[in-house]
Amino acid sequence: MARIEGVELPANKRIEIALTYVFGIGRSTSQKILNRCGIDWNTKTKDLTVDQENTIREAIHEMGLLLEGDLRKEVTLNIKRLVEIKCYRGMRHLRSLPVRGQRTHTNARMRKGPRRQAVAGKKRPGKK
Amino acid sequence: MSRSIKKGPYVHPGIFNKVEQLNETGDRQVIRVYKRACVITPEFLGHNFEIYNGKKWVPLFVTEDHIGHRFGEFAPTRNFRSHSKDERKAKR
Repeated sequence: MARIEGVELPANKRIEIALTYVFGIGRSTSQKILNRCGIDWNTKTKDLTVDQENTIREAIHEMGLLLEGDLRKEVTLNIKRLVEIKCYRGMRHLRSLPVRGQRTHTNARMRKGPRRQAVAGKKRPGKK
Repeated sequence: MSRSIKKGPYVHPGIFNKVEQLNETGDRQVIRVYKRACVITPEFLGHNFEIYNGKKWVPLFVTEDHIGHRFGEFAPTRNFRSHSKDERKAKR
C-alpha cells in the first residue's frame, strides 16, 4: 500500500484521486505529478509498482511542494499574522465571521456554526 | 476585478510626498489620512498615522507586517459590541 508524505494510503481508488488525499494536492497538482512520472492517471493505487511509488515520491520532492504539516503551519501563521496586525481580515478571523465580505444577515453558517435555537417561551400568554 | 499590475499599487501622491518629505528631514510626526484605500508602502515604515473611520481618528504605527495592506483595513468603520440581552423587551 502506498504511503506518501507521512500517513496517506487510499488503496482502491485511481491514483489521480488517491493522491488528492494528501493535504496540499488537488486534482491538478495530482495530474502534474503523474504526468511528470509518466504514470497513467487511471492506475489503481494497489496496482502501482514499488518503483512507480518511488518515482512519485521523488517527483513530489523535486517539485518542491508544500504539503501536509508544513502547509497547515503556513496557513495558520498567515491567519495569525492577520490577527496580530489587527487588520479587518484578522478581526473577522478572530470573531469567526466570513472574511471576504459575504453577507451575514442570513447564511454564513459555515463560519458562524449551527443555528442557535430560538428562545423558548417566545409566545407569552396575555401578551402580543 | 483586481487592479492592473501596470499601474502599480494605489498610493495617494499627497500622503506619499508627505512621507518622503519627512524621511528626508528625518522628522517624525503624526500624519492624518482620509485615504483609506491607499496602500501602505515600505516608505511608510515607522511612521505614525491617524486614519479617519468616519467618526474618529484611529492611530496606526506602521510596521513591516502592515506593508501591502490598505489604511482602511486598520480603522474599522463599524463598532458592533453585541446585542443587549433584553433586546426583545426594547422592541415592544
